[in-house]
Amino acid sequence: MDLLHELLTGAPARIDAIVDLESLSALESELLGKKSLIASTRRGLGQLPPDERPKVGAQVHEAQRRLEDLLAARRELLERMAEDRLLAGDRVDVTLEGYEPSVGRHHLLTQTVDEVVDIFAGLGYRVASGPEVELAWYNFDALNTPPTHPARLESDTLYVEYGEEPDEMLLRTHTSPMQARYMEQHEPPVYVVVPGRTFRADALDATHSPVFYQIEGLAVDEHITFGDLKGTLAHFAREFFGPDRTIRLLPNFFPFTEPSAEMHVSCFACDGSGCRVCSGSGWIELMGCGMVDPNVLEAVGYDPQHISGFAFGMGAERIAMVRHGINHIRHFYENDVRVLRQFT
Amino acid sequence: MKISLRWLKEYVDIPTDDPLEIESVFASLGHEVEGYEVLQAPFTKVIVGKVLEIEKHPHADRLRFCRVDLGKGDPQEVVCGAWNFEVGDVVPVSVPGAVLAGGLEVGVRSIRGVTSHGMICSARELGLGDDHEGIMVLDPAVPIGVEFTEYVPFPDVVFDVSITPNRPDAMSVIGLAREFAAYYGTEVRLPDAAPATVDRPSAIEVTIEDTKGCPRYVGRQIDNVKIGPSPFWMQLRLRASDVRPINNVVDITNYVLLELGQPLHAFDLDEVADEKIVVRRAHAGESIRTLDGVERDLDVLDLMICDGGGVVAFAGIMGGEESEVTDSTTRVMIEAAHFHAPSVMFSSKRHGLRTEASARFERGVDPNLPALAAARAARLMVDLAGGEALADVKDNYPSVVTPWQVDLEAGEVERILGIPFSRAVIADLLTRLHLDVEGDSPIKVTVPTNRPDLTRPIDLIEEVARLYGYDRFPETLPSGPAGGLSADQRRDRRLREIMVGIGLHEAQTMSFLGQSELDGLNLPLDDPRRAAIRVRNPLREEEAYLRTTLLPNLLKAAQYNVSHGMPDVALFEVGRVFLTEPDPGDARIPHQPVRLGYVAVGRTGQGGLHSSPRQTDVYTATGLARALLAGLGIVCDLRQATPGGFHPGRAAEVFVGGERVGAVGELHPAVGRAFGLEGRVAAGELDLAQLISGRWQLDPPSTYPRVEFDLAFVVDESTAASALVQAVAGAAGDWLEDVEVFDEFRGSSIGDGRKSVAMRLVFRAPDHTLTNEELAPHREQIIAAVTDATGGQLRGV
Repeated sequence: MDLLHELLTGAPARIDAIVDLESLSALESELLGKKSLIASTRRGLGQLPPDERPKVGAQVHEAQRRLEDLLAARRELLERMAEDRLLAGDRVDVTLEGYEPSVGRHHLLTQTVDEVVDIFAGLGYRVASGPEVELAWYNFDALNTPPTHPARLESDTLYVEYGEEPDEMLLRTHTSPMQARYMEQHEPPVYVVVPGRTFRADALDATHSPVFYQIEGLAVDEHITFGDLKGTLAHFAREFFGPDRTIRLLPNFFPFTEPSAEMHVSCFACDGSGCRVCSGSGWIELMGCGMVDPNVLEAVGYDPQHISGFAFGMGAERIAMVRHGINHIRHFYENDVRVLRQFT
Repeated sequence: MKISLRWLKEYVDIPTDDPLEIESVFASLGHEVEGYEVLQAPFTKVIVGKVLEIEKHPHADRLRFCRVDLGKGDPQEVVCGAWNFEVGDVVPVSVPGAVLAGGLEVGVRSIRGVTSHGMICSARELGLGDDHEGIMVLDPAVPIGVEFTEYVPFPDVVFDVSITPNRPDAMSVIGLAREFAAYYGTEVRLPDAAPATVDRPSAIEVTIEDTKGCPRYVGRQIDNVKIGPSPFWMQLRLRASDVRPINNVVDITNYVLLELGQPLHAFDLDEVADEKIVVRRAHAGESIRTLDGVERDLDVLDLMICDGGGVVAFAGIMGGEESEVTDSTTRVMIEAAHFHAPSVMFSSKRHGLRTEASARFERGVDPNLPALAAARAARLMVDLAGGEALADVKDNYPSVVTPWQVDLEAGEVERILGIPFSRAVIADLLTRLHLDVEGDSPIKVTVPTNRPDLTRPIDLIEEVARLYGYDRFPETLPSGPAGGLSADQRRDRRLREIMVGIGLHEAQTMSFLGQSELDGLNLPLDDPRRAAIRVRNPLREEEAYLRTTLLPNLLKAAQYNVSHGMPDVALFEVGRVFLTEPDPGDARIPHQPVRLGYVAVGRTGQGGLHSSPRQTDVYTATGLARALLAGLGIVCDLRQATPGGFHPGRAAEVFVGGERVGAVGELHPAVGRAFGLEGRVAAGELDLAQLISGRWQLDPPSTYPRVEFDLAFVVDESTAASALVQAVAGAAGDWLEDVEVFDEFRGSSIGDGRKSVAMRLVFRAPDHTLTNEELAPHREQIIAAVTDATGGQLRGV
């Protein structure tokens, strides 16, 4: 038993002195193998008196267990060190580019339209689109715009050669015809937002394009008020331009709303103190709006005595230009990849 | 319109001169200020002086030497070239150090040997008018020695105000003064329109043949006018409003137009044949030479003013040269008429002739204004042109327009505006606009004839809101019902997400095409995409048609990028195309389906150190379609085909549920050439209406291992790989999890015109581990089915 004790006392130092896995295996077989003291002692147990056997047996077992633990701990350490050496050699320049899948971008107009639509969807609006080649009736007459109105001239409106009647078929000049179409097909309450392409006989310049996007909103219900129009647009302004924005409405004129207003939002760049973004006024003109004219409600068969509503329409390019500092509308329609990939 | 603040303040008290504050009042009243300009006196150091002595210049016959009293010190000695003043006249004198209009600096100068300390100034030198004939002789009441700047209307602010088309009444200084008076709750001061008159019968005879076109005609005779320049204050106001001064009589008509909003015309009565005025439509073949010097052939719909000899003026637009007021005119007829708006609009458009007068008549002028405006002009002609106004005014006004009544319920105001308005508040606001208010329920509102925009209760409600102030309404939200995106809209968004996720940029291109783009697509003659709807009034020939396909503009966008140094481009667009067939939802309009189009050129996939991007080809096009449809959960079937515009051997038609939804593949090389693109161009166009995503029940994944084996068949070159896959799928039974073509091989061992197609089949059962023995009969069935369907032979694998 002294021999065992001596073995256990000397083993930790011997094990800790080992620095490679091969030497560790040799030491393991010396300490625990067939020729080891542990093995020979266990073999000699039978020769011991019966009352000593359990005690010595337990001592051998304990010695073996302790040696095994020490060896295992050392092995684990040596293995980890070996792996560390290996990994240290396996080094690359991670600043080189990765295996990068190409990812495209949504067009900024789509992003803008989707964002606006989502704001109104959150308020309970449905989304409608509607035809781009439209009857003059929906584009003008149903919206209280008489045949003599100058907006109907060829200098403003693009007409298309389709159907029997001249001056009947045109490229819609706003998304508002969908007001009439939607109300024709739905009974109140109507809460709908209509994004889509619109067209004017305008040559391309910094702020005009023959094709542009409008986003129209319409809420028609019992008890819809001018205050509701204000509150709705204020909510939109805060969602789209930030929580500190305020709005103002200024009286204006549109044939299809009464009262009519132009909606301005306090400048997000200077907080209303006046800067380049807002041309020094502190306000940015965003859209036209107003209470739906009773004639429009009547044209679609609603009773203006009991039903009221508001409508608004904004240009998607305009609000995107304002928000992203874009100075020419061509950037939307050139589809230059260097522009497209900037907006996510 | 441009309006001088000083002029405006002549009629209404405005408690501020701050342009920004006034601008915000304009804005809150609904009159947008496009801009404003602050005008300063165009000169400095000009003193009012009195001429004490005039002597001849010793060395120059045409000059005079004057001594002028400037109120203090010794009289100023100046040399002057003008002869239109006498001793005792009060004149503006610039002293050394003065700066005159145009930057002229005045000093002490020797003029032909005589020292001149400054100069006596003409209107032009002071920037107050064009007159350079003589110096300005001032009102003798102006005190001597004061700075002349105190007697000129400076500084001033000129506002450029945009008047909305529903407010013809606001297109005048007095109209805007009324708006400010309503805003501040004050009254306007009307200008003096009571001329001293002469009791002599007027010879003018007025006949209106077309009372619809001309419901009223006032002719007012002024005799003995002396034509000359109008006073400088009037010229300054006209100029501020962008009206060019001509002479006193013409300037007065323009001045009254701006002041009251009533267009006037002055005729030289001696040039009006028979002193007779007839208002009628033009006769065929008639023409007129208008004041702008243009000879104009008339349409029988043109409303004309005629005299005993023929046409003399365009009603409501412009006068004619023949009866123009000239320097020799002595007898004037002031025309103040009311013309029907559409008639003026027609002629103005037809002849491309827009004037201050036509702009007002087009919107609608108050029919009760002409007599007042004629009187105002008469008063000014008496005062400023020395004329004699005849009391005998010819006023032809067969059907007098009277104010009308609109009934308004206070409850209606609240229903629309959202906050309660008492009868008293409503009455106060409307009365400020000079509307008469009586009664309680309804409130009976009488509208004056200068407000044609106020005919319905809603129009009055707008006025209540406007004067109350839009700013003062609370912000509330309606309680809208449940909304949100429709299934199609969500599908479209997912579709775009997928396209972006698989590496394409979204484009937005114009909805137009030109003939050359249509031709460039290399389409068969009967291809429906050639039958594009034409724009009747296109801006450019390149935009003469509505697009029938998204591809041409996508190709142009791709080419734009290539030509700007980005050779690898992959773009898609979701948008409407326009077909000649009627729309399924509304047969009155053309069908306008939403399409997805995409185009890829150059290489796809990220390039660089580690990745080798692929050159774009047909499999780019088909792969994108498959990935997109798989992402949408749509099972599709690509069939080899030769759709128009595509490469004959490298294109497919896409079928979903047996319906053709579009075509994908490589474009025909001729198309690439037409659009300036080199190399293979991958493209696709799909109709979205037929891409309907399903909803599925969960199919729980099996926990058992998969078993796979490969099969290869030798088939004819013409056999599509998809035919083999379909045959496998049809015969394999429920345990088939996947089948994939992993090799295509041609070679002499197989024979000419034949190819080997190898597939990997994966099986898995939901409830147990499959064995090869179990699958053996399936394998035999599959082989038989493929052989049967394609004539292929199993090849040893």
